[in-house]
Amino acid sequence: MRKRNRDVNADEAEIDLTPMLDVVFIMLIFFIVVASFLKEAGIEVNRPDSSKSDPSDATSIVVTITGDDQIWMENRRIDIRAVRATIARLLAGDPEMGFTVKTESGATASTLLEVGDAAREAGIKQVNWPAEEDK
Amino acid sequence: MAAGGRGASQGGGEGEIDLTPMLDVVFIMLIFFIVTSSFVKEPGAQIIKAEAVTTGACERGTIIFAVTAVGDIYYDKKQIPVERAYRMAEAAKKEAPKANFVIQADVDAPTSVLSELLGVLKPLMDAPLCASTEEAG
Repeated sequence: MRKRNRDVNADEAEIDLTPMLDVVFIMLIFFIVVASFLKEAGIEVNRPDSSKSDPSDATSIVVTITGDDQIWMENRRIDIRAVRATIARLLAGDPEMGFTVKTESGATASTLLEVGDAAREAGIKQVNWPAEEDK
Repeated sequence: MAAGGRGASQGGGEGEIDLTPMLDVVFIMLIFFIVTSSFVKEPGAQIIKAEAVTTGACERGTIIFAVTAVGDIYYDKKQIPVERAYRMAEAAKKEAPKANFVIQADVDAPTSVLSELLGVLKPLMDAPLCASTEEAG
């Protein structure tokens, strides 16, 4: 009797997958819930390696944002809407020109990002933003 | 007769659906989600992002700092001083070596704080910083 039972068991010996399936499903649901498909979008801003490189050299377009959010370019104060056109004009002369935006303490992020955006729109590949100089 | 009846009952009792294909699919999904999950720690600060026309995706931008309008730095739903940002960033970078940095700056965030934070993060960065913006329009 016992022997026969064992034989039957051996014949139909299948591993019960139910507990493993439970675990796998719970893991699956966990990872689906945790997977945040949030995609951050933005503009790239580069910090130059050191302040040793002179950003005011002739091959670089320099925009300065003062502490009260004024935008200065080529010793003139210009409007944010004129930044893109001005950079595009300078870039037409020398497409390899670099771009540096300098800020003074007190400026706000929106001005900085608007200038960076305008530069990228004009065709600048990398926006450099050196550290603010201590006064 | 008896044999036929036994066979039928056996078929009914052990008539199990073959779970193997489903298991295959479930395993593949599981592995996919394990591999793609990146465990982003959201800064959890309420900020208004600037709009930018040239907004592009931040490649692997999963270490996110936020700077609010008053210049507070948030990371992982906590406000942190700028001195601690380096330690936080270092730990996050160790956890996910390929991750890049993202700063969510409020439109009114002072650039002095951003500049300081960027200076702190600079040694850890191997790609330009991604300044989070909203797609314009």
